Amino acid sequence: MASVELRNLTKRYGSNAVVDDVSLTVEHGKLVCLLGPSGCGKTTTLRLIAGFVEPSEGEIRVGDRVVSTPANSLPPEKRNMSMIFQSYALWPHMTVAENIVYGLKLRKMDRETIAKKREAILATTKLAPLAQRYPGELSGGQQQRVALARALIVEPETLLLDEPLSNLDANLREEMRFEVRRLHDAYRYTTVYVTHDQSEAMTTADLICVMNAGKIEQAGSPEEIYDRPRSEFVARFIGSSNVIKGKGLDQSHISLADARIRCAGAPITAGAETAVSVRPHEIRLSSTPPQQADNVVPATVIRQVFLGNSRDYMVEVKGGTQLRVVTAADVAIPPGGAVWLQLPPERCRALVG
Amino acid sequence: MTIAASAPRVSRRSFGFDPSKPILLLFAAILCVLIILPISWLAYYAFTDAKGAFTVNNFQRLVADAAFLDPLLTTFMLATLSAFICCAVAAPMGWLVSRTDMPLRRTVRLLVTASFVTPPFLGAIAWELLAAPNSGLLNQLFRELTGAAPDEHLLNIYSFSGLVFVISCYTFPYVFVLIANALDRTPGDLEDASAMLGAGAWYTARRITVPLALPAVVAGALVAFLQAMTLFGSPAILAMPAGFHTMTTKIWSLFQFPPKPELAAAASLPLLLLTVLLLRGQSMVLGRRGYSVVGGKNSEPRLVRLGRYRWLAIALAMIVLACPVFLPYFALLNATFSKVASHLVSVSNFTLQNLHFVFFELSATDLVLRNTFILGVLAATIGTMIALVISYVTARRAVTGHAVLGFLATAPIAIPGIVLGVGLFFSYTRPPFVLYGTLWILLIAYVTLAMPAAYQQMQSAFRAVHPELEDASRILGASRLRALWQITAPLLRTNVVAVWCFIFVGVIRELSAAIMLFTSQTKVLSVLIYDLNESGDLAAISVLGLCMLIITSLIVLLANKLTKLGGRPATAGI
Repeated sequence: MASVELRNLTKRYGSNAVVDDVSLTVEHGKLVCLLGPSGCGKTTTLRLIAGFVEPSEGEIRVGDRVVSTPANSLPPEKRNMSMIFQSYALWPHMTVAENIVYGLKLRKMDRETIAKKREAILATTKLAPLAQRYPGELSGGQQQRVALARALIVEPETLLLDEPLSNLDANLREEMRFEVRRLHDAYRYTTVYVTHDQSEAMTTADLICVMNAGKIEQAGSPEEIYDRPRSEFVARFIGSSNVIKGKGLDQSHISLADARIRCAGAPITAGAETAVSVRPHEIRLSSTPPQQADNVVPATVIRQVFLGNSRDYMVEVKGGTQLRVVTAADVAIPPGGAVWLQLPPERCRALVG
Repeated sequence: MTIAASAPRVSRRSFGFDPSKPILLLFAAILCVLIILPISWLAYYAFTDAKGAFTVNNFQRLVADAAFLDPLLTTFMLATLSAFICCAVAAPMGWLVSRTDMPLRRTVRLLVTASFVTPPFLGAIAWELLAAPNSGLLNQLFRELTGAAPDEHLLNIYSFSGLVFVISCYTFPYVFVLIANALDRTPGDLEDASAMLGAGAWYTARRITVPLALPAVVAGALVAFLQAMTLFGSPAILAMPAGFHTMTTKIWSLFQFPPKPELAAAASLPLLLLTVLLLRGQSMVLGRRGYSVVGGKNSEPRLVRLGRYRWLAIALAMIVLACPVFLPYFALLNATFSKVASHLVSVSNFTLQNLHFVFFELSATDLVLRNTFILGVLAATIGTMIALVISYVTARRAVTGHAVLGFLATAPIAIPGIVLGVGLFFSYTRPPFVLYGTLWILLIAYVTLAMPAAYQQMQSAFRAVHPELEDASRILGASRLRALWQITAPLLRTNVVAVWCFIFVGVIRELSAAIMLFTSQTKVLSVLIYDLNESGDLAAISVLGLCMLIITSLIVLLANKLTKLGGRPATAGI
């Protein structure tokens, strides 16, 4: 069975390292998302795994086979992988059915098996009525499903997806997200999924790797990444977050507007400026001083917006630091009003670097 | 996928006077005069006898007489063979240049594009210098090497196969550019997707790359066929001395003394019909597969590694290029500086006399250069203006009935130069328009012939400028004309210059229509070169030919610089 393992993988173009010393293990049957802004090296990493690009350093293993080293790289066609391209790469001169069975014909299957598998996948992807159309005659969502069907029908050991949903409109994207996950659960191949959309990563992935400037900033389950971001980049990239800066008091406290704030996360160095991330909806906001005075900071409302099921505040603490706070919709305090913020200690994540 | 630029838009009506009707009528009238008038006269002559009564006699004579059937058959064979050879050479070359790591592939592409600027009749004359049975340089070399008798020869360019060869030499660049560009546009993803599913390089080439390039190959074959069928210069230079005719030379000979215009008209119609049919056929072949690339962002294609075959590939490419470029240019240069055109230049043989003769002694040079220049500038300016207005009207759907204008502007693509020449001869040798013997008739011919390419280039330029750019300017308070002037015009400036240059170059190269329409006072450069060939003055031709090549190359270079076309065809459609 095929796990995918990257060991110290590096790709340089000239002196520019696009992928910089990336190590990652994807266990068999898991879906891993490479998540990051454009230019972070995620697509290059995927193309390295596919074999379209050769590494400058490091190696890639699939199961116990080494498939890529700088000296020797197995060509893509020998890797038993499937890939869904951002452009879908549907062949415009073949019908939907011809596109789909292409991989099976290559594997020299007999006509009956091919027909059986074709009908099955056409039914699963709801493409049966379109089998004789040409790709140019399909809508974006239909093209996407053809690309999925073409990749899945060969039952690959590994499935690679390169921003497969980025060309779809918002509604369809949401629907296809769950479709990708459902098909993954049904077939259980090892999947590597590249995206810049955090909610896409959240809904589909077992493991999310947040990439920045060619490196993996943090790898973990969606919960881990969201609840316990390790760096400012991850905190800001995944969901919205307040990153507040304060002076370290001891291993687990910083000072914010003269208040002692207890934090979790990375150990804090006393005396050093430390960044702490706390999400807007985890801060409790009240118009009277709370009885329990731990981790409480007084603040002033700068502005607030009613959003229907919640209210979005911008508040300022002494010293000028501004924070976003999301509260229940019925907590209405006008701008200029005095408020008290309670920051739950376990939700204040001290960040590295 | 196409952008919404073609979505129907509500036609705007300004208050008061609506200028769209008169504009439409004016330009429709211009196009009608340019296109429908000559074709109507052609049809009229073909179906009437000397007294003006209806008859099909002309066609009967055409079919019954071997003197007409033979050229028809020859033309068909010639066109088919040329199309086949062009594709067989251009397809592998296009692939090597576009998809492999062949060394010097940029240079190869540049050289093929450069061979565009050689007018086919000049190429034919250069090959006369190289492969005429007795005096040809290559045959002299052959006798030198083998010690063969003075009357033996290796190559004879005055033959059917010689004609096929020379026509293929100067048609293959069209096919090459079509195929190479099609391969450039084919996204690498489509091949990568095949590799991911387990297909090796050859399987991918066979199932994906070749079928995707097929429409370009078919289109190329058609272009080559049409080109070979409608060329006048090369067959006139090579076939007539060999004692056989093609349709174009036959039509021309019917205008020689004693003229038989009604037969020429009848012989022109099949050529016209065949062209129309072939162009229809092309769109049918492509069918509903559409071949437009589906989907969004695409990556660069990965190049096929040729390994140790790289050098073999470039060697073959260079041998191919020798035929339209290296050898002919060498022969022309040699003839320019040699006392005797068929002798190699040496120290004792070197002369500048030919240059002196052409520029200071030959009385026609002055007149011809002036005529060509005047016609080039006028045709390019008028043609660009008409193309600009019509493409604006059709791209922006500014007036109702714009589709008719678009159709009329592209229609001349189906009219071979010589057929247009015959039609114009009929139209303007009688009242109310007696233009024969003036430069006007040549101007009309040039503008008509250039219209389809100019229109298509301008239209795609307009398509690339999204209408919202104009709309954005208008919503801020600019009038329609001001928006055009301040937004669209600057964006299209380079395209306008490019179209102007292409028409100018086209005028310099044109022979088939000019040969029907010139008189002694309205001779142009291409006609002079043809005349000099008749009188056997090959040295003077070489001087004039190189002169012409330098002018066209400079203009093409300028146009390429301005539009940054890179590897795209510099003279597409001319």
